Amino acid sequence: MIKKKITNEEIGFWIVTIIVLIVVLGPLLWIYLTAFKSASDIFSGSLSKQILFTPTLENFKRLFTEYPFFASLFNTIIISVVSTILVMVISLPAAYSFARWDTGGGHLLFVTISTRMFPGVVAALPFFLLFRNIGLLDTHIGLILLHMYFNVSFATFLLYGFFKDVPVELEQAALIDGYGRIDILRRIVFPLVLPGIAITSAFCMIWSWNEFLFAFLFTRDIARPMTVLISSFWGSIEVQYGTMAAGVAIAILPILIVAWVMQRYIIRGLTFGAVKG
Amino acid sequence: MSNAKNNATAISTYGLGRKPSIWENLSNEKYFKWILIAPLLIVLLVFMFYPLIYCIYNSFLQGGVSGDSAFIAFENYKYMLRDRSFWIPFSRTAQVAVICIFFELLIGLGLAVLWNRDFKGMNLVRGLVLLPLLVAPLILSLVWNFLLEYNIGFINQIFVTIGIGRIKWWSLQMALYTICGITIWQWFPFSALVLLSGLKSLPKDVFEAARVDGATGWYTFKRLSFPMLSPLIIIIVLLRTMWLVRLFDPLYGTTRGGVGTELLDWMVYRTTFVYFDVGYGSTLAIMSLYLTIIISAILFRQLIKALNTDK
Repeated sequence: MIKKKITNEEIGFWIVTIIVLIVVLGPLLWIYLTAFKSASDIFSGSLSKQILFTPTLENFKRLFTEYPFFASLFNTIIISVVSTILVMVISLPAAYSFARWDTGGGHLLFVTISTRMFPGVVAALPFFLLFRNIGLLDTHIGLILLHMYFNVSFATFLLYGFFKDVPVELEQAALIDGYGRIDILRRIVFPLVLPGIAITSAFCMIWSWNEFLFAFLFTRDIARPMTVLISSFWGSIEVQYGTMAAGVAIAILPILIVAWVMQRYIIRGLTFGAVKG
Repeated sequence: MSNAKNNATAISTYGLGRKPSIWENLSNEKYFKWILIAPLLIVLLVFMFYPLIYCIYNSFLQGGVSGDSAFIAFENYKYMLRDRSFWIPFSRTAQVAVICIFFELLIGLGLAVLWNRDFKGMNLVRGLVLLPLLVAPLILSLVWNFLLEYNIGFINQIFVTIGIGRIKWWSLQMALYTICGITIWQWFPFSALVLLSGLKSLPKDVFEAARVDGATGWYTFKRLSFPMLSPLIIIIVLLRTMWLVRLFDPLYGTTRGGVGTELLDWMVYRTTFVYFDVGYGSTLAIMSLYLTIIISAILFRQLIKALNTDK
């Protein structure tokens, strides 16, 4: 085969693409570099020290010993996993019902998804007072419930799209063959939407993992998740840049891995299923 | 089609010539579909209507949480219409939304056109560009706050090295635009990839025909690509509007509402949780809700339409 000559246009194409990648990935890369820098390198103010430095684990050491990092990591995991399970228990049947029978004639689906627009700050005050009265402030259950409310409409809408992809004819054939309703769901519909369920769950977990407003207002100490802990490094009198970078490096690692694994579905999830990506 | 389905149900439930049991009755789709949806409706009812009614009720009251409140009818609303500390964050939020969406679309469209070809490493580029999209906006704003620090921030150090000099990113004049910049940085890949998926799905033969007829690249783009992309552009604009009017986390990670960056949700937060003025805070929240209802009414009709025309 004759080797194709590289044109000017191709060079331009790759220059732009590489600049875009540097702009997008630079800050993420920089966080991982800073996490391994000593305080004197961080505050040195010279560019060479930003790139050429002796790696150290002192930031991680301080993060693990001086701050309740593992406790808040554990809180984040518990809250995101349990709230996602609850969301799925509620959203799966509802999404199936919307997709198969158009329950409520489209209006109900519209109401469901509009609730995603309900401003968090509007809900925050009434729930703050209610939770204070019934003792749910700074508890895992309190935040789990709020994250469930926050994700349930999104999950229903996304799953609705996946259920719509399952042809009705399959189910009708099974009905005629004498399968019961539950059998049809278990043996035919469920396996077909399993990827959709996985993707929706992943999104719900990420939204819960990232959620800040409720976490910040409703937790102080016991149930404090990671986003709130990390944000506290910058609120203090002496800004703990190194510790913050170490915390951020660990906190975003799972998100980056998940984003890489499900890259084909990110656009679909972010557009509520409207764009297949 | 639905007739056939009903017949099938009839066969499975009543075909045996005996009285249906309770379970069979419940699994009749007339009830079954509502049973499936009931938990969702209960959750929405509890979690939506309680705060809503609470806020509407409190917006007619004056005073704090301690109970010494008085009924003042529409005074809060009247006050709000004259309140500069409401209208300034309000117009600022609109400004942020317009700036962010404009630049995200502009950069996104450019990159979509650029990447709309077969090249080695397409999947790699797409995967890498998507990475920051799912990271918490709060965390990214903390990272950017650090990167843009005046003395030790990496960006200013580069600027000094290449001779531009330090820039005061968090000054009164710059801070709002800096926040816009951070948001655009995180979200332009979203526009780029949505539009790219649109470009890839356009029919090839139309473009062949245009090329044969001697149309220039710009002309084809203006007359063919752009009109075909407009449904996607509408979706991007609406989704981004919905997220941007709720912008809160990046403010917490950077300016905390100071230096001329207070936006709508931050103001509601400050009124209710810092000043504990529940009455007025509820009024602002209700107002903010009305605005978003209008946006979402347009948005989700479009989304449902997009989902259904796809089939």
